[in-house]
Amino acid sequence: MQTVFVSELKPFFDAVAEQMDLYVPKKTGAHYIYDKYDPADEAAVQFNNIRACTPVKEFLFPLRELAAVFPESLEPEEIRPFAVFGLKDCDLRSIEILDKVFTEEEFEDSFYIARREKMFIISSDCSEPGTSCWCTFSGGQPHAEKGFDLNISMVGNGFVVEVGSEKASEFVEKTKDLFAEVPAEALTERDAARTEARRRVDDNNAEYTLDEPANEVVAGGYESDVFDMESQKCVECQACTRVCPTCHCFYLYDTKREDYFAKMKMWDSCMRLAYAEVAGGENPRRVLGDRIRHRFMHKFAYFLDRYGINMCVGCGRCIDADSHKMDLRVVLKKLNEELKGAKEAKVAK
Amino acid sequence: MSKNLYQPVNSEIVDIIDESPTIKSFVVVAEEPFKFKTGQFVELTLPGEGEAPFTPSSSPADTEKMEITIMKAGRVTALLHESQKGQKVGIRGPYGRGYPVDDYVGKEIYIVGGGVGLAPIRSLFLTLVDRIQDFKSVVCRFGAKAPDDFIYKNTLFGAWQNIDGVDLKLTVDEANGDWNGNVGVVTKILNRGDVDVRNAVGVVCGPPIMMKFATLKLLEFGFAPKDIYLSMEKNMSCGFGKCGHCMLGKYYVCKDGPVFTYEQIKGYRNIWD
Ligand code: SF4
Ligand code: FES
Repeated sequence: MQTVFVSELKPFFDAVAEQMDLYVPKKTGAHYIYDKYDPADEAAVQFNNIRACTPVKEFLFPLRELAAVFPESLEPEEIRPFAVFGLKDCDLRSIEILDKVFTEEEFEDSFYIARREKMFIISSDCSEPGTSCWCTFSGGQPHAEKGFDLNISMVGNGFVVEVGSEKASEFVEKTKDLFAEVPAEALTERDAARTEARRRVDDNNAEYTLDEPANEVVAGGYESDVFDMESQKCVECQACTRVCPTCHCFYLYDTKREDYFAKMKMWDSCMRLAYAEVAGGENPRRVLGDRIRHRFMHKFAYFLDRYGINMCVGCGRCIDADSHKMDLRVVLKKLNEELKGAKEAKVAK
Repeated sequence: MSKNLYQPVNSEIVDIIDESPTIKSFVVVAEEPFKFKTGQFVELTLPGEGEAPFTPSSSPADTEKMEITIMKAGRVTALLHESQKGQKVGIRGPYGRGYPVDDYVGKEIYIVGGGVGLAPIRSLFLTLVDRIQDFKSVVCRFGAKAPDDFIYKNTLFGAWQNIDGVDLKLTVDEANGDWNGNVGVVTKILNRGDVDVRNAVGVVCGPPIMMKFATLKLLEFGFAPKDIYLSMEKNMSCGFGKCGHCMLGKYYVCKDGPVFTYEQIKGYRNIWD
């Protein structure tokens, strides 16, 4: 992979912003939230040490969008090329998951695809993983190795830039003057920082190690009352599914506009009481514990079964959103212990 | 650019048939050719109001128009009930997998239905009757609350009674008027000798509670779970396995169903709710 070096972010951001819309993470309280880059704003130039608290899905599959219009059908909205800076490995893996759903053959979602094609991904290493970060659990790590156009690693005197796509090499070629050769010590420094960040994530999560793959732990606990016990802590705010970068439930609703009818598409949540209710009033997941059970089964077992990939990237957003009251890792660990107990009891017999 | 999945085909309601006090059939003609297989469903949009999933009740062989039988159950269906001939609607689909009719060749088909569940069954029935010599027999046991609640009364009490290869029995929960047929829930008229379970498939469609007890009855008769076909009503929205609303265990009812064998879904919780 081609690697170059840039000593400051500001000129780099400006160069990107000249060619496309650029979104950058802005510190808001303790978290980062994405905002359109404003070259005049000094505070807009930041290297985020961790993922933003908002999920990357909002760039590809907005909270609410116009899905259809009739009687005349809709001319697709022209999507301008855009770049997002500071995405982390967990974010990139969440895009991989959304791609499975929205680009599925025969049922390609043209709105998603239009945005996806215009997106320029500038990822960066995590310099300070958080306490809820558990990416290494699901095969990730605090730095990206694929799935980006450009990846940025912060080192003492600048930034190492990896070029991950054709589009990105064109960009680097066009803005040659910005980049320098990578100093040898920069790579050593980057690799040491990556090892350290990984160690931090691993240390944070040592107590949550499972004895079996997560899908087996969850599927094995399908009838467990752990889900019902956990539900006592849940206030049904649905925040976990909103901030989740891989949750993609939506609902369609129809509305009247001045001279046409519109069909809208809006994020939904499987944690919502009426989510699965049919017109006659029946509801297979009326009980909250069943909704939590379904959420876990979908994340860790059903999705894997269908698409061959685990639907949780371990970004920890749901843990943060829930003020650590319901921690996925704790639930998995409880299920793990139950399963282990059941197995040991069987052997004892 | 691929086509927009969410765009309905402009269509019109050309006729409305009163079937029962709470159920009407709507004859819909689409502006573009619209084909489906029996048991598949469509999403019907009432512009500006909402969209809901329905399994057409007409024969797939009729490609000119489609009939959709709708019970007044929620907001959108109530509005549809108030609509008039000429109403513009939208249809998307067809979605999912219907009845695997070819797998039924040479067998006895034991169809148990109730209420508005007769809508998908009617489409299946018409499909089977078109090639009745391919099947050993078609045995139907249908129920309704009261005689007036039966839909498709004309054919049900008339022509369908006299088709060679079809054995049709009806029952009502409560008799009234000049009804002198069976009285009792539909499981009451299911008898072990109705079909030979070694060479039969069961098809069940109706209100959840009826589906549950009919399925249990078929199991009791010795039907294998893989030979019982259930048309599952879930809260379908997108129709193509993305929005998540219809999930039943690992399945998307919209894409993997709506017709499932009992074998596929029996391990999941609350399948009848
Ligand atoms: S989960 Fe991993 S990749 Fe995501 S922000 Fe945390 S450390 Fe970085
Ligand atoms: S109806 Fe949307 S996933 Fe099935």
